[in-house]
Amino acid sequence: MSSDTREKPDAKYRHDEDGGPDPEEHGGHGRGGMGEEVKRKEDRRFITGRGNYVDDVKKDGMLHCEVVRSPHAHAEVKNIKTERAEAMDGVVAVLTAEDLEAYDLATMPTLMDDTQEVLVKDKVKFQSQEVAAVIAEDRYLAKDGAEKVQVNYDSREPVVDAETAKREDAPVVREDIDQESNHIFTWETGDEAATREAFEAADVTVEEDMYYQRLHPAPIETCGCVADWDQDNEKMTVHMTSQAPHAHRTLFSMVSGIPEHKVRIVSPDVGGGFGNKVPIYPGYVIAAAASYVLEQPVKWVEERSENIQTTSFARDYDMTGRIAATEDGEITAVDVDVLANHGAYNAAAQPSKFPAGFFKIFTGSYDIDAAHGELEAYYTNTAPGGIAYRCSFRVTEAVYLIERMVKVLAQELDMDPAEVRRKNFIPEDAFPYESATGWTYDSGDYHRALDKALESTNYHDLREEQQRRIEKDDDKLLGIGLSTFTEIVGAGPGKQCDIAGVEMFDSAEIRLHPTGKATVRIGVQTQGQGHETTFAQIVAEELGLDVDDVQVEHGDTDTEPYGLGTYASRSTPVGGAATAVAARKVREKAKSIAANELEVAEEDVVWDRESGQFHVQGVPEQSLSIADIAGASYMNSPPDQEPGLEAVDYYDPPNMTFPFGAYVCVVEVDRETGEVDIRKFYALDDCGNRINPMVVEGQIHGGLAQGIGTAMMEHVSYDDNGNVTAGDFMNYLLPTAMEIPEMETDYTVTPSPHHPIGAKGVGESPTVGSPPAIVNAVVDAMEHAGVSHVDMPMTPDRVWGKLEEAGLAKDPAEDLELDIDGEEAAGD
Amino acid sequence: MKAAQFEHHEPTTVEEAVSLIESLDEPTILAGGQSLVPMMRFRLARPETVVDLNGIDELDYLQEADGYLKLGALARHADVEESSLIDRQYGSFADTAPLVADPQIRNRGTVVGSIAQSDPKGDWGTVLLAHEGEVVAHGPGGERTIPADEFFLLPYDNTLAEDELITEVRVPTSGDDEGSAYHKLKRKVGDYAMAGSAARVVLDGGRITDATVALTAVDITNVSVPDAADHLEGERPSGDLFKQAGELAAEHANPESDEHGSAEYKRNMVRVLTQRALADATERASNDGPAARYGTDQMAVGD
Repeated sequence: MSSDTREKPDAKYRHDEDGGPDPEEHGGHGRGGMGEEVKRKEDRRFITGRGNYVDDVKKDGMLHCEVVRSPHAHAEVKNIKTERAEAMDGVVAVLTAEDLEAYDLATMPTLMDDTQEVLVKDKVKFQSQEVAAVIAEDRYLAKDGAEKVQVNYDSREPVVDAETAKREDAPVVREDIDQESNHIFTWETGDEAATREAFEAADVTVEEDMYYQRLHPAPIETCGCVADWDQDNEKMTVHMTSQAPHAHRTLFSMVSGIPEHKVRIVSPDVGGGFGNKVPIYPGYVIAAAASYVLEQPVKWVEERSENIQTTSFARDYDMTGRIAATEDGEITAVDVDVLANHGAYNAAAQPSKFPAGFFKIFTGSYDIDAAHGELEAYYTNTAPGGIAYRCSFRVTEAVYLIERMVKVLAQELDMDPAEVRRKNFIPEDAFPYESATGWTYDSGDYHRALDKALESTNYHDLREEQQRRIEKDDDKLLGIGLSTFTEIVGAGPGKQCDIAGVEMFDSAEIRLHPTGKATVRIGVQTQGQGHETTFAQIVAEELGLDVDDVQVEHGDTDTEPYGLGTYASRSTPVGGAATAVAARKVREKAKSIAANELEVAEEDVVWDRESGQFHVQGVPEQSLSIADIAGASYMNSPPDQEPGLEAVDYYDPPNMTFPFGAYVCVVEVDRETGEVDIRKFYALDDCGNRINPMVVEGQIHGGLAQGIGTAMMEHVSYDDNGNVTAGDFMNYLLPTAMEIPEMETDYTVTPSPHHPIGAKGVGESPTVGSPPAIVNAVVDAMEHAGVSHVDMPMTPDRVWGKLEEAGLAKDPAEDLELDIDGEEAAGD
Repeated sequence: MKAAQFEHHEPTTVEEAVSLIESLDEPTILAGGQSLVPMMRFRLARPETVVDLNGIDELDYLQEADGYLKLGALARHADVEESSLIDRQYGSFADTAPLVADPQIRNRGTVVGSIAQSDPKGDWGTVLLAHEGEVVAHGPGGERTIPADEFFLLPYDNTLAEDELITEVRVPTSGDDEGSAYHKLKRKVGDYAMAGSAARVVLDGGRITDATVALTAVDITNVSVPDAADHLEGERPSGDLFKQAGELAAEHANPESDEHGSAEYKRNMVRVLTQRALADATERASNDGPAARYGTDQMAVGD
């Protein structure tokens, strides 16, 4: 991807004449500008229980939908009998694939251009797949009705994992698209010959197998919608849990045939998305079809287990990493093979030109000359997915691979892992940096981040404590894990990145009202990130307004400008840029009005970011605020200008942004039980200029919790028959406050040179960066006894197995000291 | 929650409850709802009628009387957790209460309900076995008591008759020379035990005169380990002795592999947890050592 600035109309606003905001230097203008810890505007309604989620939407005559799901992972549907359900009081309709075929809605496209059944007619391909739907007057009746739908299946042998799917004699999942095997695609990156040469010439090579287990984003609000077909206006309104309302509008229109101006998607408050709410799911289509046919609003809201078992999973990459290095630890090449389980459909949610997402970022923060990667993707009888769970498309897997491999190399060379990292970092003066796999990193200062992290955590003291414990044969081993990762976030550019063909730009529209207040409408969609506050701060900063005078609106396709949505940490890099640029367009027009008001030439008017005012060059007391100018634009508009003060911007970024971090995780491993206690997690993040440090910190806390869940607990597991064995919160373990250790956040600031306000994304860095730090720490605790890897989730069972194998396991009674009073005791 | 339809009854006396249970067709008893409500939500349980005990005030007690520690059918886990009586004398109860589910559930869930549920992964059955306690049942024919070791039959099944209601569980009062403890291994707060072990010892003159060991989640019911008890009785407490007892407990266990841990791991953990429980119980019986300060020191990762 080239870092060349594309000649788009917004390019001239990218760099501001006054150098742009510098929150580290100035810390905002005191009215809620950049760098200020403004309290979140949205929190009042959230913490008082007045949020408005999809399940809170109630409409007159609203019906409820319950989906009938397959108990089998792989089975022919012989017949479906709906009569008993249809005869029940309160059941309004039962839908099957045949009913949907009449409206050409029996199938739907996935974001990777595969075709998925909305309701299955011929063959079920994963457990809990949608087979029929019951529409009833309330949700209990709908569930009662669903129990009465009889489906006869002829079950077939399922294929559950990619390794089995690969075999020639494996059952074929997708006869419907004339597949003769389960292979979906092969993907390759880098220079194979150069990499092979580097390996042949290397002093040292290391190799490690690692499985990044299947995860589920598990937002606390499950997916759902209320579809409402208005026959009089021939308009479909869908309130839905959507991370990308406009993209969903376009898809809805394409799938249903309803003209796009007659489709309205409203995404109200969203209770967490994490990538789970980017794709379209059968339930949405069923509810919309039912509403269309019945001419009544229809609500569909998933149960928890439906969410985990059927909506998009993440990861499921089986990886082998290899590193070639000199004997003093300089990495000369990296090579990786991946076996990817995509489930029953290729339904990843990522730019269509990137079948393996941005996985080729696997050279990480390191200056590596030769790199090569190859990936084979397979269908299996498991739920479809492969979405970007709180990360840019497959970056999490790539970061895990390289950060683990660097640790493996350090172990092989008996070097401190911090030293190996230092030796290989891309130097600060090498940015913009072209990586061996073709990315252009915008900016970074990795040495500074690592130095600060090691100093803040007293790294050397920790190493000494670790040694002491080993020497004392302590019950608990100490492990110190590092991760010095680089993220890649903020897709576009539009030429490389698209969703269903639509370029991944984003947008903002700013309107100044006559009294000097502003309404901002944005194309990105918050799911808890705090857009209503941080986007208002961008406008406040750029226009000198008080943050309380800026209202941010989002999530309604009838009123907001077109955007591609919020995922892959793209809101600030793309939507935030659009907002800043729109504000600068407003400011440009405001300047000419200011000149008219101040009765000087426009070139004699200057903008002062500190005071948030225009004034006459050299005469600061002759000044006007944007609020004054807004009034003038309506009440005393210049003869050569249109009245009013507003602007819209559709921002196509010239490149991604590359936030990075240095994480230190300290664990204690219990030699008796294999339990891991994370004693401390230190996270230093560099996301460029920070709009609101408090919001950044909140994002990092949440992402670390998810990273800890990933490393320690979470796994969507299946048995050999394709039954989901972790399909609810009893078995799919999410961390709670009790499992979250002391977290310390820290930062450095390396602004993005191409972003209008120097910002990068941050929401996903902790989810991406923390799992390898935790695994590295656990391995580090046992490294002296030869342990080189533990797969995630690091259950006590797995860790104890490693302890036992390495001769480190211990019994509590071994060191037992009892002081028992008694006649005989005294004699001993 | 989308439960199937059911009828809800709320008696206010034990007598009324017993006659309701006799007259209704296969009624299900609701106390804290800790297990029943999720099962109804999944429609794994579809009771036609539910008899809700929450209006029977006479069942809400936790007290020492007549040589027993008695817990009425409405004594919540939180009541045990907060009881100073428990904290002074009943180490295994004090250990167990804060390890059951999460604080919200502990405010509603009951000890008796947990024992009535007879889930082999439940913690209280193990504690009851370790204390050689009893279940008090009321039926149309009046009251009877069932010793703990005759109570549990199969997962979710016990010797309670269909028309009987458990009104109380009780264990013999604990003397000053008795100590007990419970250790539980779980993956997160609120989780079931992967394995659990309770131990009770009575010391006299530096020797163990009476001992019990019981286990959670490693067989089809909560089980006690008579071999380990026999091995301990008459001996002086020591690391080696507890190690041997732990091994006997591990041999006695019949765990199954699941997504949280393999059978082999769980068997090994029975050994480890039994050693820990015996060490704590002994400290409490001799009133010396950190565990003698009572209460649990086991919390989930990150406490």
